[in-house]
Amino acid sequence: MKVVTGVVGNDIHVVANRLIELSLNARGFEVFNLGVNTYLEEFFDAVVETGADILLISSLNGEAEGWSREIKLLKSKYKNLDNLVMMIGGNLVVGSADADTIVPKYKNYGFDLVFHQVDLNTGLDTLEEFLKERDK
Amino acid sequence: MSKMNDKLLIDVGSTYFKVSTPTSIEQHLRDFNKDIFDDLTYRCANTINSFEKDDIYICSSANGGLSTLIIGLTNSFSLKYAKNIAFNSGINIIETVMYQNIEEYSIPSDVIDVVIIVGGINSNDNIFGADLYSYLDKLNYSNVVFVGSESHSSALKDNIENLVILPNIIDNKLHIVEENLKVYLTNLYQEDIEGKEDIKHLYDITSNQIYSTPYIVNKTLPMIHTKFAVVNPFILIDIGGATTDIHYSKDLVDDNIVTENEYDRLVFKKLGVYKSKESLIFAAQNNEFVYELLTHLKVTENIFEEQSEKATKTLMQLAIFLVLTKMSHYKQAYINLKLLSINSIVLTGGITKVLTSSEIEDIISFFYKKILNSEHNPVTVLDSNYDIWTLGAEAE
Ligand code: B12
Repeated sequence: MKVVTGVVGNDIHVVANRLIELSLNARGFEVFNLGVNTYLEEFFDAVVETGADILLISSLNGEAEGWSREIKLLKSKYKNLDNLVMMIGGNLVVGSADADTIVPKYKNYGFDLVFHQVDLNTGLDTLEEFLKERDK
Repeated sequence: MSKMNDKLLIDVGSTYFKVSTPTSIEQHLRDFNKDIFDDLTYRCANTINSFEKDDIYICSSANGGLSTLIIGLTNSFSLKYAKNIAFNSGINIIETVMYQNIEEYSIPSDVIDVVIIVGGINSNDNIFGADLYSYLDKLNYSNVVFVGSESHSSALKDNIENLVILPNIIDNKLHIVEENLKVYLTNLYQEDIEGKEDIKHLYDITSNQIYSTPYIVNKTLPMIHTKFAVVNPFILIDIGGATTDIHYSKDLVDDNIVTENEYDRLVFKKLGVYKSKESLIFAAQNNEFVYELLTHLKVTENIFEEQSEKATKTLMQLAIFLVLTKMSHYKQAYINLKLLSINSIVLTGGITKVLTSSEIEDIISFFYKKILNSEHNPVTVLDSNYDIWTLGAEAE
C-alpha cells in the first residue's frame, strides 16, 4: 500500500519524519516522503501522482491547527480523493490540551485517524487495524 | 580570403537579418518578396564570398519557436515539471490543462506544435481515460508526446495516433527527470527551423549547423559581464518582429526546482512589433493601464493606425510594458519574476536602434510605479551593437 507522508507547513522538525519513513517501510508500506516544510497542496498533489491510499501528516511545532482548517475546502477541489485515508500526529496544539477535545476537532477537519502526542508505533498499529476493518 | 578564426556571423530574424564580420556589423530589413537566401546573397554577396563555408555561422529566429499545450495531473509535480522543461527548451506554452477538469477547458484555435501529456509515477496505472481522447480529438496539433506513468503508455499508444513515448519525467521519489523530454523538444525546435525551405537553402553557404537564435543568446548570458556593466540579477528583453523573448536568471523565480541551466527563457509569441503587431495592439487595448500610458507618452489611440517612426516607438514601448506586466505578480502567469529584485534590464534586438535609453527608462519606471507601486529603478543596458549575439555565436 502506498503512503504519502511529510511535515506540514513551515515546520522543520525532521527526526520524527525520518523515523516514520523507516517504520512504514519496515511494515511493508511503499513510502513517498515529502520531508519537512510541505504545504497542503503538495500533499494532495503527491497523492494524485502516486495513487496513494494513505496520507500521513505530522506536525510538531504547533502549526497543525491552522492548516487543518483549510483541508476540507482544498480537498473538495480534487475529484478522486474520496477513498483516501487521512491521518495526522505529533504535537497538534500549542501548549497542552487533552485528546478528548483534540481528536473530535481534527476528525471534524477531515482526518480519519488523529494522534496527539501518541507514540509512533501505537499510531501505526491503529492504522493497520483501521485498514483491516475497512477492507472487511 | 579570410584568415583563420575570422568568422562571418549571420542572424536571420522574421523582420531583419544581420551580418557581422570581425570588422563590421550590418543590418537589413528583409525583402519579403524574396527567399531569404536570395535576399541575403543579393545584398551581401561580396561579404559572403570572402569567407569560406566553414567560417560562416548562421542562426535563425525567423519562426518564433514552437508552441505547446500541456496536459498534466497536478500543479506541484507533473504540470510544474513539464512547464519547466518546456521553458528550458525555448518552447512557448499556449495552455496548461489540469486533467481532472479537462472537460471545462475550451479548445485553443491555434494549431499546437506539440502536445505534452504527463502524470503519475510509473506504478500509478489509474490516471487517464476516455475524456483525454475526446479532448485530443477536438484539438488541432502536429505532434504529441507522453512522458508520464509507464504503466499507462500502452493504453495511450492504442488510443492516440502517432504518440511518441518517452521516459517518465517524474521518478519514483517524485523528482524531476529533465533530459529526455528536453532533448526531444530541442530537436523538434531545431527540425522546425531546418525544415523551413528558406533555411535549408542557407546550407549552400555554410557547412556549420544552423542554430536557433534564442539558443545562442541563452548561451551568452553567463558571459555577459565580459562585455557589459550588468549587475545580477538581470533580465534580457529581445523585442522582435514576431515575438518578444525574455531571458532571466533563475534566482528571479520563486520556484525551487533544481536544474542545470542558470538562465531560462520565456517567449511571448504574439507580442512582436511587426508581424504580430495586431495582436500586440489587441493585448494593449485589453490592458487597463494602457490609456494612462498613452497619455503619459503624449499620444492617442490613433497612433495604432499610423505608419510612422513615432508609431513604431510607441509599439515598442507598449511591448516593454506588456511583457513586464505579464511577468509581474500583478498578472498570474506561468512564471512570475521577482521584478523588485532586478538590478539590470538588458535590451537587445531592433529596439536598440529605435528607442533611446531615456525613452526605455521612462517606460520601465512607469511600469514600476503603476503596476508595482514602487520607485525601483533598475539600470538599463542597451546592446546596440549586437554584442550579445556575436559573443554567443562566436562561442558556438
Ligand atoms: C529538536 C527540537 C527542535 C530543533 C529541530 C531540529 C530539526 N531540524 O529537527 C530546533 C531547535 C530547530 C527546533 C525549533 C523549533 N521548535 Co522545537 N523542539 C525540538 C525538541 C527538543 C525535540 C524534537 C525531536 O526531534 N524529538 C524526537 C522525535 C523522535 O520525537 P517527536 O518529534 O516528538 O515525534 C514523536 C511523536 O511526536 C510521534 N509523531 C510525530 N509525528 C507523528 C505522526 C503520526 C501520525 C503519529 C502516530 C505519531 C507522530 O512520533 C515520534 C516518535 O514517537 C522538541 C521538544 C521535545 N522534547 O519533543 C521541541 C518542540 C517540538 N519545539 C517546539 C517549538 C515551539 C519550536 C520553535 C517554534 C521554537 C522557536 N520559538 O523558535 C522552533 C520551530 C522551528 C520550525 N520552523 O519548525 C515545541 C512545540 C510546541 C507545540 N507544538 O506546542 C516543542 C514541543 C518544545 C516545547 N515543549 O515547547 N526545535
